[in-house]
Amino acid sequence: MLRLEFIVKKIGQLVVTIFAVASFNFLLFRVLPGDPIRLLARAGRLTPEAIDRLRQLFGLDQSVVTQYLYYLRNLATGELGISFTYRQPVIEILQERISNTLLLLATSTVIVLIIGVSAGMIAAARRGSKIDSSLVITSLVFWSLPTFWTGLVLIIILGVYFHALPISGMSTAGADNLTAFERILDIGKHILLPTITLAIVDMGQFMLITRSTLVDVLTEDYILTAKAKGLPSRKVLWNHGLPNALLPILTTTALYVSLIVGGAIQVETVFSWPGMGRLMYDAVLRRDYPILEASFFFTAATVILANFITDILYMFIDPRVREA
Amino acid sequence: MRTFNKLLCTIVLCSFILAACGGPATTAPPATEKPPEPTAVSPEKPTEAPLAPTTPPSATTKEAVLRIGWGSEPDTMNPLTTYSTEATEIIRLVYDKLLEFGLDLKTEPSLAKEFAYSTDGLTITYKLRENVKWHDGKPFTADDVVFTFQFIKDNSFGAFAQWLINMTEVKATDANTVVVIFNKPQAFNPGLIIPILPKHLWSTMTAKDVETFPNDAPVGTGPFRFVEWKKGATLTLNANPDFWGGVPKASKIIYVLYSNEDVMAQALKGGEIDIVTEVPPTIWEGLTNVENVKAASMPSFSLHHIGFNVSDNANSKGNPLLKEKIIRQALNYAVDRNQLVQIALAGHGRPGDSIIPIGLTEWYLPIPADKQMNANPEKAKEVLENAGYKDSNNDGVRESPDGKPLEFRLIAIETTSVDVRAGQLFKDAAEAVGIKLDLQTLDENTLGNTVYNSDAPDWDIFVWGWDSEPDPDSMLGVVLCSQIGGNSDVFYCDKTYDEMFDKQATTVDYTARKAIVDQMQLKFYDEAVYIVMWYQDKLQAYRTDTWTGWQEVPGGILYNVTRANYLNVAPAK
Repeated sequence: MLRLEFIVKKIGQLVVTIFAVASFNFLLFRVLPGDPIRLLARAGRLTPEAIDRLRQLFGLDQSVVTQYLYYLRNLATGELGISFTYRQPVIEILQERISNTLLLLATSTVIVLIIGVSAGMIAAARRGSKIDSSLVITSLVFWSLPTFWTGLVLIIILGVYFHALPISGMSTAGADNLTAFERILDIGKHILLPTITLAIVDMGQFMLITRSTLVDVLTEDYILTAKAKGLPSRKVLWNHGLPNALLPILTTTALYVSLIVGGAIQVETVFSWPGMGRLMYDAVLRRDYPILEASFFFTAATVILANFITDILYMFIDPRVREA
Repeated sequence: MRTFNKLLCTIVLCSFILAACGGPATTAPPATEKPPEPTAVSPEKPTEAPLAPTTPPSATTKEAVLRIGWGSEPDTMNPLTTYSTEATEIIRLVYDKLLEFGLDLKTEPSLAKEFAYSTDGLTITYKLRENVKWHDGKPFTADDVVFTFQFIKDNSFGAFAQWLINMTEVKATDANTVVVIFNKPQAFNPGLIIPILPKHLWSTMTAKDVETFPNDAPVGTGPFRFVEWKKGATLTLNANPDFWGGVPKASKIIYVLYSNEDVMAQALKGGEIDIVTEVPPTIWEGLTNVENVKAASMPSFSLHHIGFNVSDNANSKGNPLLKEKIIRQALNYAVDRNQLVQIALAGHGRPGDSIIPIGLTEWYLPIPADKQMNANPEKAKEVLENAGYKDSNNDGVRESPDGKPLEFRLIAIETTSVDVRAGQLFKDAAEAVGIKLDLQTLDENTLGNTVYNSDAPDWDIFVWGWDSEPDPDSMLGVVLCSQIGGNSDVFYCDKTYDEMFDKQATTVDYTARKAIVDQMQLKFYDEAVYIVMWYQDKLQAYRTDTWTGWQEVPGGILYNVTRANYLNVAPAK
């Protein structure tokens, strides 16, 4: 009963937040200085009729309130308008970019989590040992590396010097007649460098949070009790330690997802990954409102959803949340 | 309970991963239902360019692929709505015009074998090439030309409409002859700029349809056929085996997008690409000593300038002192353009003077030494002193005779680092002659909107730039009275200048026109409304071991008004 109420409350919050984000999103790009049509006109020497036609086409001749109402209606029906620059429905442009970004993010998040959490567990289980301190130092060093710089260094070492991996794009340019398997392999090769970059820079935080939480948990009395009962240390770690350490890891993951959605822009830029990052960057420069609104909305929605899912998961792993 | 805990751990860990993928992942079908090929990552199906069945994959000749690295993407393949250099480059290869620019920027025949002006200069008659086919196999006719001109004129499309403002009629007198009639003589031949569109594909569209038409599969008559554009990644063209000028030696061109210039340079070094369209100076320097790579530097059609607000609008909030020519001239004298090039531009350009960039070799007039206002702070002080602008209160800043200090606001685009550096140098140079400038940097859009607020401009001086078209109309026409509210960024208005402009634009004879164009350049230089700081070089780089025959010409190897380089290069042995 309590659970249901909790979920309903959370969903309510979700809807309100998304509406607020959508509205703010609309406002944000309207208060930015810069008239998109003016920008086009300088580049293209347009006649006044042509400028009027463009304003009409994009609804910029309407009042801001009318534009806002149209925007909300379109958003609700999933119709995201026509891009100012590409002159194509935004949804078509976004679809492919989103899936490319998600592929990169999903792959690297999985790897970051696996490496980070396991390294943290190893360090915590052998705290004070040489392994522990070297893991901590490595994590700290990696964590402080700038993503952009790390990417470039990897490109020069692995891509240019050793010629081991392709340095840009998502597939080999001009390789058209590939079988499905070869194509996956090709993408796999291309995704390696960006993923390694993200893994190096981001695993540190997971390692450190896992380690410190586990160290806290493992010094609790009930762990001592478990040990006293004669349980093997592996069981103590997995069954008694980790479940109680999950909460902070979960929180870090939610925060990580929020950060990486923006942070991936850097990686996408270094490796010319055809994802959302580059699209948003260009759209800002070109004042492409429809693209900006849609991609910012998508980014915000991802973050909100990630937090929502985390909230729901809290409920399952932490009895205090569901009974509060 | 223990097993449950273990299971829970696994579930939770998995959920993190799902959460990390964002919303959509949670609703994705179970893994087992996924098709063997992950749909999310499979590249777009090639856009079906309506290729005529004339391209059998030749088994005998090896495919000669030209790989070009570029730093940003086209906007759209629609010639009537595009604004980007990248799209213009592709359209130049896919579509033909009636005439083309050669490597020397001289007019060459294209879809028109020949053309003739009537004696009064009002009529141009084009004789069209015969047996030309569209990429979809349909025959090209005079109707296509008539349609294109009329369609652009009727709907004032894009950047082309300005060249047809004076056109009164376009007609086909027979299957291979098109006659275009104007109400004023046309110095610039519009056949050089308007891409000819296939009537059978465009005639059904309204103006509004055209504005949202992405033209995903462009059909032209040009040397290359459009194959596909994977947005954010690559754009591919194939040689047109039926091209009237002979099949290009590059059987395929792939443009590869690099979102980072350093990585693009590394790709050139590593041999992943054959040529790059543009490189910034620092990276260009790094390519000068690389084996098998040639870093090329060529004059461009661009300039960077300092502009003064001379608006006569009563609502102008610009400092009215700038309407005094003597102050503008003093600022011209104060600044050392050679120093600007050496310091701000690291030497990658030439000091500026005329409003027409040096790359337009046929039209550019070097301002004679005795008329130059450059690098002469003593002269600047002298003219100010003589005109009564003296520093009466000894604060280092001169005042006008009625006591107003010579203090101005200076704005520049914060991300254009060369402009910001130039702004600082300009500020110091002005200060040395007793004029105070307050430099502020803005983002490009804000600066554009500030400057172009022609009804009530609230600024004094800016630093910015222009890219010119290959005709003198392009730059000379920016500062006309009629362009206030249009392209004019300084709100200069002079009836004599405007009359001269109209005269040159309707003078067909080169020598006669050049004489007027020269006068205009001298006059505008003397007005000192612009300080043309420099003409920056076009910096490009290419590999010498993969393709041969690149010609370094004014305007650049690529991204130039001529497409001849694409047709001339051949694979290296």
